[in-house]
Amino acid sequence: MTDEGAGPIVPGPVLRAPANRVSPQAIGFWTLSALLGDAVLVVGALVAWLVVPGAPGWVGLLVLLLAVAAVAHVVLMPRIRYRVHRWEVTDTAVHTREGWIGRETRIAPISRVQTVDSRQGALMRLFGLASITVTTASAAGPITVDCLDADTAAHVVARLTAITAATEGDAT
Amino acid sequence: VIPSPGDGWVRLSPRKLLLDPVKAIGQAIVPVVVALVGISQSDMRFWPVVLPLAVVAPLVLGALPWLTTHYRLTDSQIQVRSGILNKTTSTAPLDRVRSVDLEASPLHRVLGLQKVQVGTGVDDDRITLDALASADAHALRTALLGRRVVAGPQVVEQSYATGPGTADLPADLPAEPAPAPAPLPVPAPALLATIDWSWLRFAPFSLGRLVLLVGGLGVLSQVADELPIWNETTATSAWEWLTQFAVVAVVVVLAVGGLALWLVVSVAGYVLQWWGFRLVREHGSLHLTAGLLTTRSITVEEAKVRGVEVTEPVLMRLVGGAELSTLATGVQSGVTQVLPPCPRTVAVGVGEAVLETPGPLTGALAEHGPRARRRSWFRQLRDALDLIALLAVGWWWLELTWWWLAALGAALLAAAAVVGEASYRHLGHALVGDHLVAGSGTLARVRTVLETDGIIGWVVSQGWWQRRIGLADLTATTAAGAERVVVRDVRLEVAVALADAATPGLLRDFVVPAGT
Repeated sequence: MTDEGAGPIVPGPVLRAPANRVSPQAIGFWTLSALLGDAVLVVGALVAWLVVPGAPGWVGLLVLLLAVAAVAHVVLMPRIRYRVHRWEVTDTAVHTREGWIGRETRIAPISRVQTVDSRQGALMRLFGLASITVTTASAAGPITVDCLDADTAAHVVARLTAITAATEGDAT
Repeated sequence: VIPSPGDGWVRLSPRKLLLDPVKAIGQAIVPVVVALVGISQSDMRFWPVVLPLAVVAPLVLGALPWLTTHYRLTDSQIQVRSGILNKTTSTAPLDRVRSVDLEASPLHRVLGLQKVQVGTGVDDDRITLDALASADAHALRTALLGRRVVAGPQVVEQSYATGPGTADLPADLPAEPAPAPAPLPVPAPALLATIDWSWLRFAPFSLGRLVLLVGGLGVLSQVADELPIWNETTATSAWEWLTQFAVVAVVVVLAVGGLALWLVVSVAGYVLQWWGFRLVREHGSLHLTAGLLTTRSITVEEAKVRGVEVTEPVLMRLVGGAELSTLATGVQSGVTQVLPPCPRTVAVGVGEAVLETPGPLTGALAEHGPRARRRSWFRQLRDALDLIALLAVGWWWLELTWWWLAALGAALLAAAAVVGEASYRHLGHALVGDHLVAGSGTLARVRTVLETDGIIGWVVSQGWWQRRIGLADLTATTAAGAERVVVRDVRLEVAVALADAATPGLLRDFVVPAGT
């Protein structure tokens, strides 16, 4: 840490991780959805390689590489995501962290929350999961908590709705 | 079928009856003429029937909107209803009115009319009254915005009760807002800026209009294709004629011609757009008027102006020019250009007058350090390398001389280095009083100032590479302007400290000292 350049190095404050993990079922959900998506890609590439006559050998190698990358994605991504994804709702703010290669931390004050939506896709229902999206007046500010278990999601939505109904003003 | 006014409902200006048919005829002229020509060629007998119909139909169609559109101002709302079969009623609570814009095309101006657009909290949903008599339009604007000065959110009910007879507005609107129960005096209008024609020197350096010019030339070239003189023989002979002269001379003539054309277009556009420009602060609102043929009058409530942005495009910087925009909530796009291209000192001065805080636009920004510089360089170099790789494929395909590619590649890399360094130097952040300041831009230098009150959330994002070197992009989300202000490539702990300082309390629960 010798090339900071912008002033003396003082150990500054850091954001702690939000308190709660998402549902463990999320690993299964992410694995399945990644598997479905990647399988289409790999099978498509494989069929294309087999069908096109006279495709050189190195294209086969590319398909193999793609398959290896897909397997790594399916196996690793959900586990890393589960370690990274966290959420917390306090009386004053909503705080989430997400990502698997990158990291994205979002914080919004509850006094500025405008809508609280929950969403449950077909696959998510299979795993008993639901997502919550909290929007503010800014198009850049929606906060999504992916893959809570459905009961927790319903509970959080009810709590957030109660808090936001009690706040006044137009939240801009 | 057609409701009559009453109960406070008022029609638009009767002069709209002249305005709409002219517009309707303008829109219907081509099909009508085509139909007439078609009929006249086949049979002359229908003329006595068709001709009156062609004249009367636009008049009737034009008159319908006037007959069916009414508006009124109640104690708490502005309401507009229109339509015969599909009746629509738009209402806006008066305390949600954020902007009132007046616009007048040359036709409007001949008739003494104004088109009024009322902006409310929802960005795309505006209430439009087209058209009102100028005096009524101005009175309505004063009423809508003047009332807001008087009526703070807490005293809404009270001041509405003490307001003037609002049911029969705007026929006899008061020019001034009603006497306020609050002790705050209404400040006199203050002139913030007015047009200075020496600013015309910046017009050619502002490239916004270049798009229009290129588009116009595109249309022209399409027309040129249709011209009878442009066929193959003339083309070939013209080409031979061209090659007889030095190609260089032709290029020079074209370049000079293009520059001259650009000068004329840019200066004319500047004059058309900014003629009679005035920026005034009155009734707690910013009020901009400008325009030679079409006049615009834009009013934004100052409480909704959450910040400003000073942009110095690369060409304008060479001559010391800048542009100023306000970031507001409830305005159509959020970003409103409030100054024509003008000297940087003027833009900064007016910007700080709008902010009512000295410093955010003049103070130094905290640099982001060598790592951010390296990232800026790498980002540009990577783009350049991508482009070079693409070019190399093309070269290989077309079997061109490799020397040219080498020279081009070197030039691209040099340009990338320059742009990378420039984009690093534009980076920066500061917290001046209760204003967050962010520097950005690759070629243009942009400084965005946002009131910390207007920040409604934070996003800290790190890509994989940023995580390795401890940098982050800090985004302040807001309802104003482009809805986000990004401080790019800042050290993570600096980002957290900045966010914590800008919105005290919001991060309190989540911030812990380093090393725990």
